[in-house]
Amino acid sequence: MEKYLIAPIKEIITKFPEVGRILEEYNIGCVPCTLGSCLLKDIVAIHNIPLEQELNLMYRLEKTIYPDRVVKKSVFKKAAKKTNAKEINYSPPIKRLVDEHILIKKWIELIPVIIENINNESGDSRQLILDGLDFIRFYADKFHHAKEEDILFEYTDKNSDIIKTILQDHESARSHVRATSEALKRGNRNLIAEHLNAYKELLKEHIKKEDEILYPWIDRDLSTTQVGELFAKFNEAEVKIDKETIEKCKSFIKELKQRIENLKIKKEEVK
Amino acid sequence: MMDGCPGSRMQDFRKKDTEAEEENVKRQSQLRQWPIQLHLVSPEAPYYRKADVLLSADCVAFAIGDFHKDYLKGKSIAIACPKLDEGQDEYVEKIKSWIDDAQINTLTVMTMQVPCCGGLVAMVQQALQSGKKKIPVKSIVVSLQGDILSEEWI
Repeated sequence: MEKYLIAPIKEIITKFPEVGRILEEYNIGCVPCTLGSCLLKDIVAIHNIPLEQELNLMYRLEKTIYPDRVVKKSVFKKAAKKTNAKEINYSPPIKRLVDEHILIKKWIELIPVIIENINNESGDSRQLILDGLDFIRFYADKFHHAKEEDILFEYTDKNSDIIKTILQDHESARSHVRATSEALKRGNRNLIAEHLNAYKELLKEHIKKEDEILYPWIDRDLSTTQVGELFAKFNEAEVKIDKETIEKCKSFIKELKQRIENLKIKKEEVK
Repeated sequence: MMDGCPGSRMQDFRKKDTEAEEENVKRQSQLRQWPIQLHLVSPEAPYYRKADVLLSADCVAFAIGDFHKDYLKGKSIAIACPKLDEGQDEYVEKIKSWIDDAQINTLTVMTMQVPCCGGLVAMVQQALQSGKKKIPVKSIVVSLQGDILSEEWI
């Protein structure tokens, strides 16, 4: 159906005349239009018909185009209302930072289960934490925080409380990483758990603060020209970053669950 | 009852009395180039280079009272009608050239609320998908009486 949603209405009506008749029932008068260049999805959205009717209309259109297909009306809920009122419309450079948070969140969500499975005797457990710290140092800090600190914050009042708080969070996160690394060298399980846990709590709140408060606040004050500049500066910064290491970070997150499972299995075997 | 296509349906806005808004100030034009029609412009013209570009549907400037002050100021422009203009493949190529060759900073697409205007945004998306570079693109949708219905980065 996706391909017809982005097809000009005239093409659709020519191929499926019944579609034109159905649209007329909803007071959507495309049949007499000589051009018919509007896309089906735009036509449906712009007429702003009540959701229930819209779902019914989409259901009937799809059944007309694909008579043999089993169509569920609920499938169209998302497509029918494209924009969620609560959804924040970030500018593209800011959106990039929000997207980077997704990977970092995946890591911090798994920290409790990593802590549960810390085993000083296991090389795999130690390596998993070392790789996690590398992920933080490179992806969360060098790749993500550096873009904020070296580029984005130049567009803000650095003396404002919110920027000071965010910078302080970054410093605290770095200090937890250093402390975890030290504790790992000493094989101190409790300290490793304490600092990893503190890091998790800090970052969880920090990301929420950035996504919901800081970024929309910065976005509101950015001019269109500044959005373009920021986008270009982020591109330049990313070109200088080692792509292989970025891919390594992505793979680390992708494989993390499995590595934790393997640790659990080994732990059970030792018991 | 059939209402017909909203893009060409007759509507009368004369009730909206404008006498309270009478101003004795002569506004300066913010236009900084010629030509402006998308078929006539060269995407590599110096005023597009690294510029913030406004691609506006033909009707937009007539609907918005403060178009020059609020939307054209500081931008290079091109206008087009996605419903009536022919040769729209050329439009896509020109938009692509703005992005890849002229290395424009941003692109703002202003369209009317009528469904046929969605074609202009679709052209920009097509150019972005096939181009080498990515840039920030903003879509602003204007009501028939000049109100801003939505303004979002796409």
